[in-house]
Amino acid sequence: MTDLAHGAPVRKRRRPAGFSVASYAVVGLFLVWVLVPILVVTVNSFKRPDAIFTSTPHVTFSPTLANYHKVFANSQFMQFLLNSTIVAAGSTALSLAIGVPGAYALARLPVPGREWWARLILFTRMVPAVALVVPIFVIFEKASLLGTYWALIAAHTTFNLPIVIWMMRSFFEDLPIELEEAALVDGCGQFGAFRRIALPLSSPGVAATAVLCLLFSWNEFLFALVLSGQKTETVPIGVSSFIGTVSVDWGGSSAAAVIALIPIFFLGLGAQRFLVRGLTFGAVKG
Amino acid sequence: MAATRPGVRPGRASQRRLAILMVVPALWFVGALILGPLGYSAVLSLYKWSLTDINQAKPFAGLANYRKLIDDPQLMHALQNTVVYVVASVTVELVIGFLVALALFQMTKGRRLANSLVLLPMIVAPVITALLWRYIFDPQFGLVSQVLSSLGHQGGIDFLGGAHLALPSLIIVDIWQWTPFVVLVLHAGMLSIPEERIEAAKVDGAGHIRVAWSIIRPGVIPQVLLVLLFRTMDTYRIFDTVFVLTRGGPGGATETIGLYTYQTGFSFFDMGYAMALSMFILITVLIISSGYIHLLRRREVFR
Repeated sequence: MTDLAHGAPVRKRRRPAGFSVASYAVVGLFLVWVLVPILVVTVNSFKRPDAIFTSTPHVTFSPTLANYHKVFANSQFMQFLLNSTIVAAGSTALSLAIGVPGAYALARLPVPGREWWARLILFTRMVPAVALVVPIFVIFEKASLLGTYWALIAAHTTFNLPIVIWMMRSFFEDLPIELEEAALVDGCGQFGAFRRIALPLSSPGVAATAVLCLLFSWNEFLFALVLSGQKTETVPIGVSSFIGTVSVDWGGSSAAAVIALIPIFFLGLGAQRFLVRGLTFGAVKG
Repeated sequence: MAATRPGVRPGRASQRRLAILMVVPALWFVGALILGPLGYSAVLSLYKWSLTDINQAKPFAGLANYRKLIDDPQLMHALQNTVVYVVASVTVELVIGFLVALALFQMTKGRRLANSLVLLPMIVAPVITALLWRYIFDPQFGLVSQVLSSLGHQGGIDFLGGAHLALPSLIIVDIWQWTPFVVLVLHAGMLSIPEERIEAAKVDGAGHIRVAWSIIRPGVIPQVLLVLLFRTMDTYRIFDTVFVLTRGGPGGATETIGLYTYQTGFSFFDMGYAMALSMFILITVLIISSGYIHLLRRREVFR
């Protein structure tokens, strides 16, 4: 261990104990494992085909933006991006519009049997999408909704709405109730107490919940696979079609994957504190 | 406990009306788009019908679809694969996740940065995760094969196309994507352990490993249960990565229960049986999760 310090200026700080060094090593190794696949696809997206399909890979290569030009010139992929945006925004807006008032009522108002309702909504998180997609397909087929944006927006709301209700209910319950009581005394009315006091105070919670909904909807695959038509296919469907084909365009599909990842990374890091809370239905406040 | 939670001036009739106005849209939606379809599925699983003649008469078949379910060798096979997938992924994720969370917990610097980087895999869409690993596992130009060949191993290995390697490869993909979730949940649990308890143990002369085993490990049991609940449920119904990477192949080696249900409905068009399979998945998931939820409620993680 003393070899490390040889020739270097003497450091005053206490050398970390062996256990602490091991901790950094474990976390470092894990980060390498986590990041390598993401880095590989990023690097591939800047490579020409001859630099990817080589049996003797080189560390250096001349980067190219050709793959990105190709993806952006591909009107079909632009349509996927547009569809994903419409569906994610639509489902998020719908889930918030009906979920936030519902969550407030379940947190604060005398809803008959409100614990029971809350539990019922927790139960819906347990329902596997695979079990839901078969009947929803048949119902939407009969209602001639297949291939419309509404079909996907409604289907994505089946998993976003329960998240909104459970997340927002826990945010509303965290607010000090005295503020709303004071608003009532001032003659605000119960709905005013919600709209003027509780809602503005929990706006960070609303924002975090919205980000989670956007994220889940943007990434969703099974409903999109079954319920979308040619005109409403989302990015995951587009990416999956790259993988299935025999002669895969690695550069192009890598660039497409990177483009699809960028908004997700921004959203995910923005909602970092609430991500685990959302995924565990508020059980981990993090 | 439920009734004593605070409400703003309960009991007034106008309040009750407002409460119902606010909660009904949400409950209506849950009923119309989740519970309704599930009920529809339960009823139609009693009929024999296929998608090719969706508007024709569907003969009532009683429990025929469920009898088929009991001795369907393909379902048994899919269930076997699913159980292997669930047990292997969840076990590895839990062990590695605990160790990494513990290491993160010991770090004094760079913890925030590490936290941000760790979470990346779980926000990557499963389909994109599949794409990343499709390239890493490629027998000719993939990273693994190229590293192996530079070490002198001749000939690429077909990870996703090999009968014995395909399922383990999918498990590795799951481990990559979801160990971060375990890390973050367990790390949050460790942060909630009162610091005095750890300090007291150290004062009493307990070493790092002793503290980890005797204080931290029992301290995060609620979070472990939580992780088990969500990971078991989500691996049991795994679909996206399997569908994209192997479609259940080669030769059914990676057919899972979720994929089998999908194919029954949308490749073989046997909707009656697909609905019976949906019911089977739903009921088994509910049985598994209610066990965990019971344990979690006892520890007051869920109210």
